[in-house]
Amino acid sequence: MAVVSVAVFLSALVAIALDWGHRTKIALLGAAAVVLVGVLEEEQAIEAVDWSTLGLLVGMMIIVGLTERTGVFTYLALRVAQISRGRTVRLIFLLSGVTGLLSAFLDNLTAILLVVPITLLLADLLRISPIPLVLVEVMASNIGGTATLIGDPPNIMIGTARPELSFLDFIVNLAPVAIFTLIVVTAGLALAFRRQLQISPDRAGEVDKLDAAADMREAPYVKRSLAVLLGTIVGFFLHAPLHLEPAVVALAGATVMLLVAADNVEEALERVEWATIFFFIGLFVMVGGLEVQGVIDQVAEGFAEVTGGSRTLEALVILWGSATGSAVVDNIPFTAAMIPVVDSLQGDGFDDAAWWALALGACFGGNATIIAAAANVAASGVLERSGQPISFVRFLLVGLPVTAVSLVIATVYLLIFQL
Amino acid sequence: MSTLHDITLVEVSVDVSATFADAARALSESRLSALAVVDDGKVVGLFTDEELLLGIVPGYLRELKHTAFLEAELPSLREHAVEVQGEPVRKHMRKPVTIELEGSSMHAAERFVHREEGALPVVDADDRYVGMLSRTEFAHALLKRLAAAAG
Repeated sequence: MAVVSVAVFLSALVAIALDWGHRTKIALLGAAAVVLVGVLEEEQAIEAVDWSTLGLLVGMMIIVGLTERTGVFTYLALRVAQISRGRTVRLIFLLSGVTGLLSAFLDNLTAILLVVPITLLLADLLRISPIPLVLVEVMASNIGGTATLIGDPPNIMIGTARPELSFLDFIVNLAPVAIFTLIVVTAGLALAFRRQLQISPDRAGEVDKLDAAADMREAPYVKRSLAVLLGTIVGFFLHAPLHLEPAVVALAGATVMLLVAADNVEEALERVEWATIFFFIGLFVMVGGLEVQGVIDQVAEGFAEVTGGSRTLEALVILWGSATGSAVVDNIPFTAAMIPVVDSLQGDGFDDAAWWALALGACFGGNATIIAAAANVAASGVLERSGQPISFVRFLLVGLPVTAVSLVIATVYLLIFQL
Repeated sequence: MSTLHDITLVEVSVDVSATFADAARALSESRLSALAVVDDGKVVGLFTDEELLLGIVPGYLRELKHTAFLEAELPSLREHAVEVQGEPVRKHMRKPVTIELEGSSMHAAERFVHREEGALPVVDADDRYVGMLSRTEFAHALLKRLAAAAG
């Protein structure tokens, strides 16, 4: 049965990486297979699902979905373009900063879906190619998402799996290195792209003329929605002293949002991306199979043998290994499988450095290839639907160097501050 | 009262080999909001005014949910509209839903209630295309029948 659990999980990873079908269908098929053949019992399958992760995701999807109606994110992106006044480097830094910030506090997939369509429009108005800008945004979203517990799916999973790590712990330990990495990476990309993105002054004038706040004036419940979003973020900062799980904060925020800013509950709940939720459920059940069959413990033992019990070596192998794994297969399933491995490695003890290494590796590794993170897949989807597809190789040529630089920074950071 | 035989159908369609420009012209001339795309007498797709719009505007517009800030015309609009003209209609059609000529008018009414298209293709018993039925024409005919039955 251990062999079956591994075979099903690896087949699912390959099928997702090669895009043989929708990732949710593949994950659910894998989950159904392991339960049906008896790799794990039904009760074990239900226990394997991390409901806190799902609660946090659902809550944030409702809050962000309803705030999105207000046009405030469109306003932000447009203002940034106007403030840049047609200066390429300034535009790149500002778009990167806004995407990074939105990714940290909304989640990186949502940030990309908000920012990329407006960027395509801006690029059209400015008469420049949108692809370099979208690439900057994808890189910024994966790096910015690293900064908080809610910023990137791997962090959400780690944060809900280890209640010892609070929202504030994530910020204190990951935000500084994420911000520094974002600045270095953006500077590098600005150097690489500035020649292709020359903006003529009259085109910049066109963007200046846009009435950035027009949509917010039309939208309902702007102030209420923003108040609930900000209140929820404050709630995240306070969740540890209040003894509330992040999922509870998100779901409470979502409930308040439904009460004060949604006329139609059914319509509001359509903002929940059920395909993503079921993808996570399928993954948790497959990984549960690996745990029940002792595969995770075996991997952890093998891992401990390789690193010889050295704390430093262990953290660095987790960092680079999870980045490589994420690049090849998608950082969500990879992190789902790595969390119990790191847990098992630590035995009864608790060493937060290993968790920061996993978060940095999985999130930064998410930049390496077009399939490595959900935000990349979403961005390439938007580009393709708008008739300007980006190839696997073109993405790789930017993603791989960005990931390498990010990981070097993360390595130095871990060595100096955590190990 | 039950079938669609006495309701006027519009016998226009575009062949599956047509271009976007052909389909757009035929749609415009028909004054309907949807046209059947036909391959050897069988309906293989629908070309509606939505496909027409989506074909003409830049692709990213469908991803944008807020556009009140846009006042000037987009610079790419014209070139995009030119580019799309020569593309095959096959690339710009949606999956068809048909109404059977011999089917009941209540079934046709249900189709119109649940579909967004303003006109649907009618097919005969051999599944061959007969003509387009517009929602407006259908509703008016139904009303006339009921009035005739009442008095």
